Amino acid sequence: MKIKVELFGVCRELSDQDHLNLELSDNSEIKDLREQMVQIVKKKFPENNNYLEMVKKSAFSVKDEIVEDAYQLQNNDSISIIPPIGGG
Amino acid sequence: MFHCDVVDIKEISLDKAQKFIESHKCGASLFFIGTVRDHNNEKEVTGITYDSHDAMVKKSFEEIYNEAIKKLDLQHPVAFVEHAKGYVPLGGISIIIAVACKHRRQVYDFSRFIIEEIKKRTPIWKKEHYTGEDAQWLDGEKLEIKK
Repeated sequence: MKIKVELFGVCRELSDQDHLNLELSDNSEIKDLREQMVQIVKKKFPENNNYLEMVKKSAFSVKDEIVEDAYQLQNNDSISIIPPIGGG
Repeated sequence: MFHCDVVDIKEISLDKAQKFIESHKCGASLFFIGTVRDHNNEKEVTGITYDSHDAMVKKSFEEIYNEAIKKLDLQHPVAFVEHAKGYVPLGGISIIIAVACKHRRQVYDFSRFIIEEIKKRTPIWKKEHYTGEDAQWLDGEKLEIKK
């Protein structure tokens, strides 16, 4: 299935666009999406443990609500990746 | 009464905050301004790029405002919260929190509550820029699901 991941914070370094279009197997959950994002970081920034840790600690949101790792993804879902935050 | 937004550096304005607060005729008001400081992690900071999930940020600001009213038992609360988005140079304003209530004690508690909660749960990110074109996304708080 196709998933659109909207990028924020450090995750913006993963693409020149503001999102990634990913292909995941059917019945995937947020934890599978996280693992795919981890693999993307490892491939794109193999030396950068800082980026890797931030992606591992990221939350994910659907329709502006944080969802659990067990959240069942649907085809064409739009998901935001929310790395550790720190405004103000 | 409450106003919140995520705005470009050119639009963030203490004047706007003051007009909003003054229009509500409260007894006590307090203005907090966050600015970009010159040093962090032993590096010379030249500016910060702020990134924001705008919809979640506004939702978070509204939740914080409503929680503050309940937890602090505020009387006649008024708040204005705006956060900058995009590149903010050294000394530039990143956030304005202007609050007003009936009495002075409550405005200190109200303002402090808002900024501390924003730091813990509002999806805004900082990329610091240093002298020499070096830049770094800062680590922060992991967001958790609300129980």
